[in-house]
Amino acid sequence: MPGLIIACLLLTLAVVLFFQLAAHPTASTLSVGPRIIKTIGWTTLQASLSTILSLAIGLTLCWALSHRKQFAGRSLYIALLSSALVLPTIVVILGIVSLLGRSGWVNDALEHLNLPTHEPIIFGLAGIVIAHCYFNASYVARTLLSRFESIPTEQVKLTRSLGLNAWQRFKMIELPAVSSTIPTLAITIFLLCFTSFSIVLILGGSPKFNTLEVSIYEAIKLDFNLGRALGLALTQLAICATLVVIGARFGKDNKLIATANVKPQPWSDSLFVSLLQAAIIALFGLAFALPLVAVLIDGIAADYRAILTDPYFQRATITSLLIATLSTLLVLLISTLLAISFATLATEQRLGKHNTSRFVLRLLSFSSTLYLAVPSLVLGLGFFLLARTIGGDHTVWALVALLTSNVLMVLPFAIGTLAPAMIKAANRYDKLAFSLGIKKWARWRLIESHLLRPELTYVASLAFCMSLGDLGIIALFGNQDFVTLPWLLYQKMGSYRTDEAAGIALVMLCITLTVFLLLPMINSRRDADHHAKT
Amino acid sequence: MLKLDSVQFQYSVDSERYDFSMHIDAGTIACVSGRSGSGKSTLLDLIAGFLIPTKGALYWADQNFTSLAPDERPVTTVFQNNNLFEHRNAIDNVVVGINPKIPKHGKDVERAKEALEAVELSDYAHTRVSQLSGGQQQRVAIARAILRQSRVILLDEPFSALDQQTRHSMLALVRHLATEQQRAILMVTHDLRDCEAIADSHYVIETGQLHLKKQISRRPG
Repeated sequence: MPGLIIACLLLTLAVVLFFQLAAHPTASTLSVGPRIIKTIGWTTLQASLSTILSLAIGLTLCWALSHRKQFAGRSLYIALLSSALVLPTIVVILGIVSLLGRSGWVNDALEHLNLPTHEPIIFGLAGIVIAHCYFNASYVARTLLSRFESIPTEQVKLTRSLGLNAWQRFKMIELPAVSSTIPTLAITIFLLCFTSFSIVLILGGSPKFNTLEVSIYEAIKLDFNLGRALGLALTQLAICATLVVIGARFGKDNKLIATANVKPQPWSDSLFVSLLQAAIIALFGLAFALPLVAVLIDGIAADYRAILTDPYFQRATITSLLIATLSTLLVLLISTLLAISFATLATEQRLGKHNTSRFVLRLLSFSSTLYLAVPSLVLGLGFFLLARTIGGDHTVWALVALLTSNVLMVLPFAIGTLAPAMIKAANRYDKLAFSLGIKKWARWRLIESHLLRPELTYVASLAFCMSLGDLGIIALFGNQDFVTLPWLLYQKMGSYRTDEAAGIALVMLCITLTVFLLLPMINSRRDADHHAKT
Repeated sequence: MLKLDSVQFQYSVDSERYDFSMHIDAGTIACVSGRSGSGKSTLLDLIAGFLIPTKGALYWADQNFTSLAPDERPVTTVFQNNNLFEHRNAIDNVVVGINPKIPKHGKDVERAKEALEAVELSDYAHTRVSQLSGGQQQRVAIARAILRQSRVILLDEPFSALDQQTRHSMLALVRHLATEQQRAILMVTHDLRDCEAIADSHYVIETGQLHLKKQISRRPG
């Protein structure tokens, strides 16, 4: 099973990096002092607040969307929600600052109306939570929407025939339908916010708002205090690994008989409930779109002749596209092999009934969620120490670290998409394939490559966009010779070259949205053409 | 008597047009069969109020209920699957039929207990329904139908997943409901043996219309 070998390699990598951290001479003298405890407390507070609010907003939006099945642009709205996962964090932050910053749109509008302008709230806790909610509430809504839409039609009819109102219906069928997913989602979001880097780096504004991840960065890059960085990294590693292990226990899903049939019901909710749903959708849509619109409008005004002829920009673009492409290929290969192993271990006709299957499945599952346990800056620090131990070209180490980080970052989402589809394909075609002796490559060509094409396309676009926009490990390894688009954008923002920053942000946004929205669309059109021909 | 007076429906302009007429007396059972996709579920959805007819009318005791909402109709449906709220116990699943607030005590709960007793499930009142067998789950759904006292009960292939023995006892229960409680029952089934066993009339759906195939006379008792 090649997937198992990959899982073991990933775990070995984690162990090697851990020993790099733990075996460092300063590691033996480390202690968790009051400063680290304060940082842990603050990191936990902002992550908890962000998680609770993201879940509440995401669930509310999902509820509204699931009941408003017909409105103009619904598909685009949902596609944009999905894109929240891949939008470059730094670009969205720029959009939020452009809206809510001191000389942002809101203050401009207040000034026009001769109303008192406000002090920007976005630098500090409020800004961090707003930015986290922007990304995670959309992710929650998109994830839970499929659960809402899998509620069997009979159950919906039943609540209607029993005369249950919207709240009773929510309690009786909708909340139970999503309740098994919520703990896993909550832990994932908590971990993402707990290990959040770029949002806190830019919107934190002051060291008192530093999370563990940002403190690691500052300890290495600003204070050159490797001992402190190690202390923070090992603390973060311990907390995240514990949460990932706890999260794995919630991995079991309740069974819903998925009904592909999501045709609109011939009745509607009361006028008040309908208006509420419409208002929720409109408000969230506005809040989601405005930062992107701000990036678009600010970006259009940029001087592209200067930007496009800047050798740094050219180098950053080529490096980013190259890294994103390599990361995508690696993610596709690794996640496919892991997903095949998932299917082998979870399918009854194969090894599903074997005693050790459950244990190996857990091992696979843990290896694919490694990024949540070993976030990018901890990973970066590990590679940083490894590079110092082994020696060699800085750029090569930076490339290896970046590719590893990108692969690990996308893997949980890639496996979450591919493994269920692979298991479904196995359940559907195993008996037939076994009886006809269709194996390995022939089977892949005949069954999986065909059935899994939408999922593979989605994973490819996800990997490309997430890799293109990540400002994590590059913050440690980036320099004059090794620069990517997010790193360049961060530098421009830091030096208040807002015009250039707006232009670069728009370029990144265009590449991301084009790849993420267009690739699946081209694929589905190709599928439709293929079906029409056959 | 349940009466369908040329109840018409069409999903889209290109799709088949359904035109249903039939009647079922109180205390009798009508079976409906037909090919997959012939319109059996459409028929049930029209009677239950999940679809609105484009023409025609539905009557119970000469009262037109075509424009009533599903929960206001004298109709209860027992589906093939997903009849119950799996995270709740049996008594909650029954009492929700008359009180959506799902009380824990009081008159409604007492009545729900009686309904469970009628389907011989009083020992399982506080058992989570996901822990009950398929037959027991369908009994809970029927207990709710009994409690709701709807004059019309629609059964959508309710026993297709049950073993032979459970199926027989469920059919007897349905027959009992019709005869003793004077309900009009419409049962959609693929199994003609079920039809033979309990139905008073057998309809077949062909080309979007109901055709009375057989009238079966049954001796009382």
